[in-house]
Amino acid sequence: MTELLPAFSLRHPTSIEEAIAIHGSAPDARYVAGGTDLIVNLRRGIGDPETLVSLNRIEDFQNIADGKDGGLVIGAGVTIANLANDVTIRTRYPALRVAAGEIAGPGHRETGTVGGNLCLDTRCVFYNQSQWWREANHFCLKHQGEICHVAPKGDFCHAAFSGDLAPVFLVLDAEIEIAGPDGTRREPLSALYTGDGMDHLTLKPGELLTGIHVPANTPPAAYEKHRVRGAIDFPLAGVAVALTKDGDKVKTLKIAVTGTNTSPFLVEGLEAFTGSTLGEDDQAKLADIVQKQVSPMKTTLVQPFGRRRIAGAMARRQAVSLLAGG
Amino acid sequence: MSSSEQAPRLLSMTLNGRVRHDAVGDNILLLDYLRETCDLIGTKQGCDGGECGACTVLVDGKSRLSCITLAAECEGKSVETIEALATNGKMSALQRGFHEKLGSQCGYCTPGMIMASEALLRRNSSPSEDEIRDALGGNICRCTGYVKIIEAVQAAAEELS
Amino acid sequence: MNKPIDRTAIGVPTPLVDGVEKVTGQAQFSADFYPNDALCGVIFRSPYAHAEILELDLTAARALDGVVAIVSGDDCPHTYGIIPIARNEYPMARDRVRYYGEPVAAIAAIDEKTARKALSLIKMKVKELPAYFTIKDALADDAILLHDDKPGNIERDVHNEFGDVEEGFEKADLVREQTFKCAEICQTHMEPHASLAEWDDERAQLTIRTCSQVPYYVHLMLAHTMELERNQIRVIKPFVGGGFGTRTETLNFELIAGILARAAKGKVAMHLNREETFLTSRTRPYTEITMKIGMTKDGHLTATYCNAVQLGGAYAGYGIVTILYAGALLQGIYDIPAVKYDGIRVNANVPPSGAMRGHGTVDSRHAFECLLDEMAEELGLDPLEVRRRNMLTVPTDTMNGIKIMSYGLDECVDKVELESGWKDKVGQLGPGRGIGFACSQYISGAAKPVNWTGEPHAVVNLKLDFDGSITALTGAADIGQGSSTIVAQTVAEVCGLDIRKVRIIANDSAITPKDNGSYSSRVTMMVGNATIDAANHLRDILLVAASAKLDARPQDIEIVNEMFRVSGGQDEGLPFQEVVEAALVDTGTITVKGTFTCPPEFQGGKHRGGAVGSTMGFSYSAQAVEVSVDPDTGQVRVENVWVAHDCGYAINPLAVEGQIQGSVWMGMGQALSEETRYHKNGMPMFTNMLDYRVPSIVESPPIHTYIVESIDPNGPFGAKEAGECSLSSFIPALVNAIYDATGLRYTELPVTPDRLVEAISKKQHRDRVAAARAAEATGAAE
Repeated sequence: MTELLPAFSLRHPTSIEEAIAIHGSAPDARYVAGGTDLIVNLRRGIGDPETLVSLNRIEDFQNIADGKDGGLVIGAGVTIANLANDVTIRTRYPALRVAAGEIAGPGHRETGTVGGNLCLDTRCVFYNQSQWWREANHFCLKHQGEICHVAPKGDFCHAAFSGDLAPVFLVLDAEIEIAGPDGTRREPLSALYTGDGMDHLTLKPGELLTGIHVPANTPPAAYEKHRVRGAIDFPLAGVAVALTKDGDKVKTLKIAVTGTNTSPFLVEGLEAFTGSTLGEDDQAKLADIVQKQVSPMKTTLVQPFGRRRIAGAMARRQAVSLLAGG
Repeated sequence: MSSSEQAPRLLSMTLNGRVRHDAVGDNILLLDYLRETCDLIGTKQGCDGGECGACTVLVDGKSRLSCITLAAECEGKSVETIEALATNGKMSALQRGFHEKLGSQCGYCTPGMIMASEALLRRNSSPSEDEIRDALGGNICRCTGYVKIIEAVQAAAEELS
Repeated sequence: MNKPIDRTAIGVPTPLVDGVEKVTGQAQFSADFYPNDALCGVIFRSPYAHAEILELDLTAARALDGVVAIVSGDDCPHTYGIIPIARNEYPMARDRVRYYGEPVAAIAAIDEKTARKALSLIKMKVKELPAYFTIKDALADDAILLHDDKPGNIERDVHNEFGDVEEGFEKADLVREQTFKCAEICQTHMEPHASLAEWDDERAQLTIRTCSQVPYYVHLMLAHTMELERNQIRVIKPFVGGGFGTRTETLNFELIAGILARAAKGKVAMHLNREETFLTSRTRPYTEITMKIGMTKDGHLTATYCNAVQLGGAYAGYGIVTILYAGALLQGIYDIPAVKYDGIRVNANVPPSGAMRGHGTVDSRHAFECLLDEMAEELGLDPLEVRRRNMLTVPTDTMNGIKIMSYGLDECVDKVELESGWKDKVGQLGPGRGIGFACSQYISGAAKPVNWTGEPHAVVNLKLDFDGSITALTGAADIGQGSSTIVAQTVAEVCGLDIRKVRIIANDSAITPKDNGSYSSRVTMMVGNATIDAANHLRDILLVAASAKLDARPQDIEIVNEMFRVSGGQDEGLPFQEVVEAALVDTGTITVKGTFTCPPEFQGGKHRGGAVGSTMGFSYSAQAVEVSVDPDTGQVRVENVWVAHDCGYAINPLAVEGQIQGSVWMGMGQALSEETRYHKNGMPMFTNMLDYRVPSIVESPPIHTYIVESIDPNGPFGAKEAGECSLSSFIPALVNAIYDATGLRYTELPVTPDRLVEAISKKQHRDRVAAARAAEATGAAE
């Protein structure tokens, strides 16, 4: 006997247009795909939607297809497992495969989707708790409450974005496609995130992430995830690096981080490394830049100090490895 | 609470090889449907949502956490539980492996563990040790230290090969 | 004399007799019993850490349609607990709540939705009280008392000294002292707590199915708290999904289920979720240990002093025993001439801790084995050699009055040294890799039960009937460890019967003899011996029956492959079934009984608390752990474990291996990832399986397992404990391996990546400063 879910009506549109229409006609609707995060939250009394609009029967939403520009269009409804197993992904975008393969456990990966992972609700140890727990703790800023227990003096929600795919897509310059009542638009992935842990997505009511465009020629990239266990855990820090080189020197360098801030983000100020051979000093500098831009808070039981250092170290060693690689 | 109580809908699926039609509410989890509506108590609840793997079943042959899956999402699909594995009164190779190699001590994680292993062996009949570990990464066992679980899956793979 | 028979049913790897049910999904656990007419039971839990209850308003909840019964502290004025002299907990709080999540009231309703709705209608008015979540705060001079009869918020303090410790330290060439902090650890058995309580109002009888390791104690506490005669209660233990100590005492939800079923005059299914299960776990307490050891320069121990402070939680529970164990098992492993112990169990506003695998001994052993390693290095001695120089010679009596009859630790050390390749590895694995070593011991059953009645320690009944099969009736609680299989193997062995002809009926108080339960690794030793006794009685009866038909003396008859024949004779002999029929002629159905009683000389020292630690035999374990450490991320990877465990004799080598591997691995969780934590306001931060990190299969290591058999004269066929001891040696072996890999002696548990990376960065900083100073000094000297 599990905790009862709120009494919602589950709808199964077969096209994106129909999904948007249903969402628009039901006053309190939410989209659901894999549900691996949403259903857990509903079990915990977080949210009480009247209608769940399931995206699981929208077929063209679940494909990986060639894009017009030679890149790839990944449907937001592609499951994490299918992403990880896709031959094109494996050969052309191995960092995506690594990130996908390290998400949660196999059961989650079979149901969880690319879109769901990019839109994943932010997480916090004061938020991802039962109704009893949150009530006894006087709720929190993110849901039903007045204060953020992570930083009680501020009025900002620090819940951390914890999806694994976003940093890889960010360093690959991926763009997202959004459909909504007012039509579709395409924009860089970074535009999806508000930077606020509370309402972390820029999606407007009824809008829906439908696909991700990955460019044709992307630089060699890598992803490393830090977590305590070898499976199940969300990233305490996840770092993606993309690097092109000119001989033994860095030509372009991109680094994106997840798990430490309210949004996944591209590290700034890396132009300085163009032309660098990433000698010892530059390695230290690189780690330092990353450490300064990540801002892990006490949103998990794992201490921020370590996560900060670890994020820096993971960025440094992946960059070094990419520079050394063929 | 929502203003309207949804009337149960007719849910049709193939459960352990038999077609079933049941009146099920939209907000009912697959786990509760299996245990309460179908009396298939072999599938266990071990956590408060997707953290332990004890509730793992197969949906269209793939490993699925029934505690975070809505029953209504399985409309028209094939669902298999631990009860379906034995045939003609004999344990399946995996069940025999878990029994004989002591891959099961208290037995509570066992149905989920075996179903996750079943999903693995169906797509990869001779998995490496690392592939076994990867496929069972979402299934927590508190008794065995996993050593004999790996041996059990290996024994079953061997028997099937 | 009957010729000793070849062992056919014991000593061979034997799958569990109840294993088929588990792998086919047929095994029914407590939550799997849910009759159609059962009510849903839910518990209203305190949203305060510490508060006086001013008013509990249940009227709105009671008025809700579909609510059948509501009970609260008013419905049960009796305290319960495992230790007769320390029962200070109500099933539902009365007057005062002392931790977040403490049960206050409970509701039985027609369905879950109604029950949960009713929960939200309960109103509790309180006066909040100062609350304490750390040892320091609870012990502060101005702290208010959690319990009026426990001054200073000290649940129990223990002080003892054996030999002259001062003199011992004076004789030592090296004395070192170190403080260790060990996190609170939760059992996290896979099955959440559940009971089905059925109240028969016509007969005033209660039947409860519940997930206990100690159904007999649950029976006693139900009778006590519900003011029932014991004969009004029937306790059935279905399949139980692990326990690891949590379920070695009666827990509040079981009592509440009974109380609620009576109030509802019906059946109540009480299923706790994982969060509630975490809150209702009698954990291994957070412990701060200061260990001091004296050693001569050739590695002989001269004295040890241990100071342990445990954050015990809001109620007594098993706590007295836990704090006693932390000191008692300083002895019984090495030859130490003087041992002093001071222990304090502190009351605080967190859920009560209790017995977890390796009860009380794990953290002390960790501290001792880590410090021993450090001192060995300082003296330039091999860590294994230091242990060898302090081995016991048996039989011996420890200073705290425990008899040791068998001792396989030396063999364990040799085995691990050889198999791990220790000599070629220690100090030689290169940067980021290391190997560590440690030893441990554990009891084979507490020789004096907490609820002392003077009765035998164990009773087993056997029934033999016309069908030629033997039914063994036992109260021993199989929770996955395989105790029913041990009973079946033993009967089969003694009676010369195929194990498939032995049926086990376990844990139904209406049918099976009383048993104290599965705790302190007592079952193989005590129930095993009682089973041998019972089987011998039955065998004697069968031999007499066979002797009449074979015209021979009973002592000349042997049983081979289910045939009774005269030893040395050429005749084929009589089939088992025929002998059974002959034996039944005069008496009809045969029932025999076997018992086992620990002799008084094994029941511990005469000093206060001396019964704790007493046992019929110590098991021993030695362990080497090889790790790699990623200095960037602090991630410790356990590459390999080699463990040798002296279990006396392995009746079921398969289960022994499984138990050893399970305990080693549970030690790994405690060492690397698991911890129970509280927010500064006392909120429990670990009550889900994402934040409480039980290791996954991915990072769990190969465990090379070696069984050492020292054949204990007290043990059934020589057997001793197998399921707890090897947990303790893993943790220090791992921490010693981290030292070998990094040069860091880490004194806090668990060694999570964030902690280790911080320690590594501090060490790097220290090393840099030291190097700079050295360079400066050299420069100045030039």
